Amino acid sequence: MSAIVAVENLVKRFSEDVLAVDNISFTVDEGEVFGFLGPNGAGKSTTINMLTTLLKPTSGKAIVAGFDLAHQQDEVRKVIGLVPQDLTVDDELSGRENMYLQADLYGVDRDRAKRDIEDLLHVVNLEEAADRRVKTYSGGMRKRLELAEGLIHHPRILFLDEPTLGLDIQTRVAIWDYIKDLKAKHNITVFLTTHYLEEADGLCDRIAIIDRGKIVALDTPTALKRSVGGDVIDLIVDGTADFSEAIRQADGVLDVKREDMAYRIKAVKGEGSIPKVLQAVSSQGGNVTSVSLSRPSLDQAFLEYTGRSMRDAEQSGGFDRAAAARASKRRR
Amino acid sequence: MTARELKHWYRVKIQIFMTLIQPIVWLGLFGQAFNIGALLPPQTVPMFFSGAPDYFSFMAIGMLAVNALFTCMFSGMSIVWDRRFGFLNKLKVAPIPRGVVPISRILATVVRSTIQVSIVLAIALAFQYIPGLTGLTLKEGFGIVDLAGMFAVLFLLSTAFASLFTTIALAVENQETLFGVINLLNLPLMFASAALFPTAMMPDWLRAVADYNPLTWAADAMRQFAFIDTIPIHSLAFDVLGLLAVAILLMGASVVVSRKLLSNR
Repeated sequence: MSAIVAVENLVKRFSEDVLAVDNISFTVDEGEVFGFLGPNGAGKSTTINMLTTLLKPTSGKAIVAGFDLAHQQDEVRKVIGLVPQDLTVDDELSGRENMYLQADLYGVDRDRAKRDIEDLLHVVNLEEAADRRVKTYSGGMRKRLELAEGLIHHPRILFLDEPTLGLDIQTRVAIWDYIKDLKAKHNITVFLTTHYLEEADGLCDRIAIIDRGKIVALDTPTALKRSVGGDVIDLIVDGTADFSEAIRQADGVLDVKREDMAYRIKAVKGEGSIPKVLQAVSSQGGNVTSVSLSRPSLDQAFLEYTGRSMRDAEQSGGFDRAAAARASKRRR
Repeated sequence: MTARELKHWYRVKIQIFMTLIQPIVWLGLFGQAFNIGALLPPQTVPMFFSGAPDYFSFMAIGMLAVNALFTCMFSGMSIVWDRRFGFLNKLKVAPIPRGVVPISRILATVVRSTIQVSIVLAIALAFQYIPGLTGLTLKEGFGIVDLAGMFAVLFLLSTAFASLFTTIALAVENQETLFGVINLLNLPLMFASAALFPTAMMPDWLRAVADYNPLTWAADAMRQFAFIDTIPIHSLAFDVLGLLAVAILLMGASVVVSRKLLSNR
């Protein structure tokens, strides 16, 4: 796998005291789903806007699909698709007309556009509504149309800025499935931002946790969670005998705590350790009646790296920074 | 892009209705009520009104130009809305030359303006057949060449004003400011011109301004096509070349401004 996006020391400063993106560097591999996770105002959208040629970096360098963002903007624009946070489909036009407009903007030739538009409308399940005006669409339908539009010119990288913000859970799941499908079938690189932990966890191959304009961690979701501490296995064993020592000897076990019949075991890799723990207990004649495995959530990982939970982060200052960033965006 | 603008326009039914009703009101109110020609001795009327047989005819031609101006002044509105709803961002990430954004709107506006002006012209002519009303009387032998000439003038005028207002819309941020600027420009443009009143009636300083108002040039040029024995303010060539120059200049300005303001910062 080769890097399709390479970012080096990227900085965006909106004004003296608003530093939205603070010297970040990362690479995105071709074909992966790369997530930017962080609270509102952390600099996610600003980064996306820079990578999609909407904002000019204050300093730093970024290569997108082999093109330099600083002076090959049109080349970059041709190979990327953007599904922005705010909906930008045209209310007064029908879904299909919106698609044709998008195809024209990207210079897709008519015959090919015609075929692809029908395919895409089918994929996002908007065939029946395609000739209705967009102002009659629900939020989920608009978002799906927006997604379909982002794909009309077969981009190599799709940027999704908060793709499921404000959608109900069914639509959210449908969009997740769709993104997974895209990756599997077309090998499109997907760069998404989100502040839903479950979304980042379920979708992304790798996640960068961004807070106050800085990347504080970058790894696979599993590794991020593991770095917080091991999995937890809860075990209940019949009888009064103490099996703590036996369990402690099993592979991968870090720590054991016993309280009557209940044991709480910390392990490096839970699913691998369970059989070994069970074996250890039964070889000592113990009878396990219940076992459960719990994993640390990304929320804990986030907490570990930023020193505050997502919710705290949004309340403390995050909002102001977001508003400030948005205001200067509007100033353009 | 141009098609999108036009679809917006004809889909909104009330707008079509307004388009039809507005010129009737204007023609009726201004043309019929301010019949200043009645104050003059009959034989001097054509001389005073640039060859037009009556004030209504004089003013109806000017009204064509004013109507084009009115259509154009809202050409920038859609840019402001697009900025607000994020559609402009979509255009900004698309691999299209930045100038396409203003030029598509200018074209759409010119098309609208041509349609609207045709309606006004038809209504003004139809007034002749309504008892009690004065209608637009064109010169005898008014032919297709004259009509084409008038529309060519209107095309240039619309291009100039559509470019002007589109450029302003690109530069301002919100609709309140845009409305302010539109009003600031619109009324002086309309009244300090020969469109509705002969410049001969104006004080010297105002006439000096009016004589170099593109709206005057357009009205002046069209009257030279519409009436016989016109007493032109400028020669036809001056009017048309002037309009052409202004149209090219303002359209160029819109492209330059869009390059500057629609690229990333």
